[in-house]
Amino acid sequence: MTVTIEKKKQFIRFDPRTKIILLVLSMIVATTTPSLLYECVLILLIAGFGSVCGKVRYSLIGSAVFMALYLSTVFYLENSTGTMHTMFTAWLSLVFKVYPGGMLAGIAVSTTRVNEFLSAMNKAHISRKIIIPLAVMLRYIPTIREDWRYIKDAMRLRDVSPSIIGLFTHPGMTVECLYSPLLMAASKAADELAIASVTRGIENPKPRTCLIQIRFRIQDVLIILCFLAVPVASLCC
Amino acid sequence: MAEGGVENINLSVNAGECILLCGRSGCGKTTITKLINGLIPHYFAGELSGSVKVGSLDAFQTPMYQLAEKVGSVFQNPRTQFFNIDVDSEIAFGIENEAVRPDELHQRLDATIDTLKIKPLQGRNIFELSGGEKQKIAFASVYAMNPDVYLLDEPSSNLDMASIYDLKAYLQLLKQQRKTILIAEHRLYYLMDVADRIVYLSEGKIEAIHTPESFCALSGNTRKSMGLRAVDLRCVHPKDKPRREHSVLLEVKDVALHYKKRPIVKNITLKAAKGEIIGVVGCNGTGKTTFLRTLCGLHKDYTGAFLWSGKQQNGKDRMKRSYMVMQDVNYELFADSVGAECSFGIKNPDMELVEKTLSELELIPFREKHPNTLSGGQKQRVAVAVSMICGKELLVFDEPTSGLDFDSMQQVAALIQKLAADKIIFVVTHDYEFICQVCSRIIHFGQGQMTGGIVVSEENEKQIRERIGAVDTLERKD
Repeated sequence: MTVTIEKKKQFIRFDPRTKIILLVLSMIVATTTPSLLYECVLILLIAGFGSVCGKVRYSLIGSAVFMALYLSTVFYLENSTGTMHTMFTAWLSLVFKVYPGGMLAGIAVSTTRVNEFLSAMNKAHISRKIIIPLAVMLRYIPTIREDWRYIKDAMRLRDVSPSIIGLFTHPGMTVECLYSPLLMAASKAADELAIASVTRGIENPKPRTCLIQIRFRIQDVLIILCFLAVPVASLCC
Repeated sequence: MAEGGVENINLSVNAGECILLCGRSGCGKTTITKLINGLIPHYFAGELSGSVKVGSLDAFQTPMYQLAEKVGSVFQNPRTQFFNIDVDSEIAFGIENEAVRPDELHQRLDATIDTLKIKPLQGRNIFELSGGEKQKIAFASVYAMNPDVYLLDEPSSNLDMASIYDLKAYLQLLKQQRKTILIAEHRLYYLMDVADRIVYLSEGKIEAIHTPESFCALSGNTRKSMGLRAVDLRCVHPKDKPRREHSVLLEVKDVALHYKKRPIVKNITLKAAKGEIIGVVGCNGTGKTTFLRTLCGLHKDYTGAFLWSGKQQNGKDRMKRSYMVMQDVNYELFADSVGAECSFGIKNPDMELVEKTLSELELIPFREKHPNTLSGGQKQRVAVAVSMICGKELLVFDEPTSGLDFDSMQQVAALIQKLAADKIIFVVTHDYEFICQVCSRIIHFGQGQMTGGIVVSEENEKQIRERIGAVDTLERKD
């Protein structure tokens, strides 16, 4: 899953609260759905949502991968038996439970600004003790990508290959190269970010204002209704 | 007393005064700033006695968000100071927290952007800005909150010369507005006509309080023995280096660099021999780092040729020969002890060589320690040890002296000079003092070009200053 920094202007903005409602809905659908067909509809909805948010490429790739998995399940695994069959079915059923949530979360995280998120959570009357760590996390995700670039360089200069092949030929070493600097960078960055935010009064209990006006608009209602239709349909039919 | 701890600090600062806190690393200057903005005791715990008052507020009792309205803080690392992705939201971050009304938010945002002259940055993605620009946004965010007291903790550490002068202009603006300023800093020269009082700390105590006049009157040797950097760059002159006669080993022929299909630098031609220490200068974002990454075989989008003793080298060959000591060394330390780090990733490590290198770099006492428990300078030495054990012949240092006091800079200088005996060394740096002392010549990046080969010597002083951007101090005072 790629999480990119928002570059282009979004076509339509959604309230961060809407995104959270959508996430909950799609998780309910994914875990309770009686047939994979409903999930296909869900993925299409998510892709549509992603596209209007400006994440067209991400949505296309996301749905293409899902379709490939879905078609291979329908046409190949249904007709086969044996160990391979069991292994793949078990693995794929897990993937199908997680995939929609993961794909939607990617879109939500990359299109939500930290200040929007803070204001929306504030309006939803959620405790600061929960909001602040989440906001630091949301802000931290793009820095991992920067860190990864440096670590990759360092690994290559030490003759350790930072690739999938390297992971298979020297699994221990590759993992060690990754997690130890990444953890160090993470703990330092998270600390400094937290300091920068508390010294600018993030803990202020007054209701936070926001440069961008946050409120439920017509597009929020529409998209929630669309997503709601899927579990309702699966219950009725 | 623990490193960075302080005792017996009595200091009262008047409104509108500018105080410079200086001293060696770990002398407690940052601790003092943390006591004032409330990070101690609200964020960092410890043994604490006495009291700190900001205006009428007791810093130990007042919650941090209330202190934040009175005291604004700017920190060292531009990368981890911003909380939003876009410039506008970031500048408004502090005033949003203060719950300023939405219509006033926009007014204050516009006013801040106007006064600080950062219109060109408006609406941009902060991740794409240079370090200097990021630092401006961090400053703007604090400025928008309009605090009475400004705290700056080594704000210039990651900045190039031009950005330092911009920072200085901001400080002068604050002084005109009669704001109170406290700065903890190693680079002193840009603050001499800004600071009203200079507090020298040593081992957690206030040793002396100077006026700028009495401080500038200290002799160079006294200042150096106090562990302090130059106070006036006009008095720092390039040293002539002994000429070493080596034959040309590395040749860069007409190299052009691209990044994401955009050309960055063209016509790079360069020759280098062992024993040379080449300073790489120029503003941020001019392609210095890309060039050095290409030189190490890490960046592949280029045209032209690299030759090593006459033979063409591809990326893999160069990667084998070269090593980069990064500005943030943490990224290149992987193992769980210094000893293990030195033989990490090598199939049959030569233990004798490891032993010899460790003792040469005075790392024997830390052999069993985890690299992350070491100080910045020690980590740097571990990275250097790795490069020596791997037999690298070309070393690149990326801003090795950022945020270092005089003593540590001296140590880095000595280390690099020692290494240069049988290697080619490139150093990316904005540090004029360091260049004068160590580099044998400088190459400059700017406007899509590399201009090469100014030998660091007394007669080239004027040219060197121009290239680094250290002219401003000259003109301002003359």
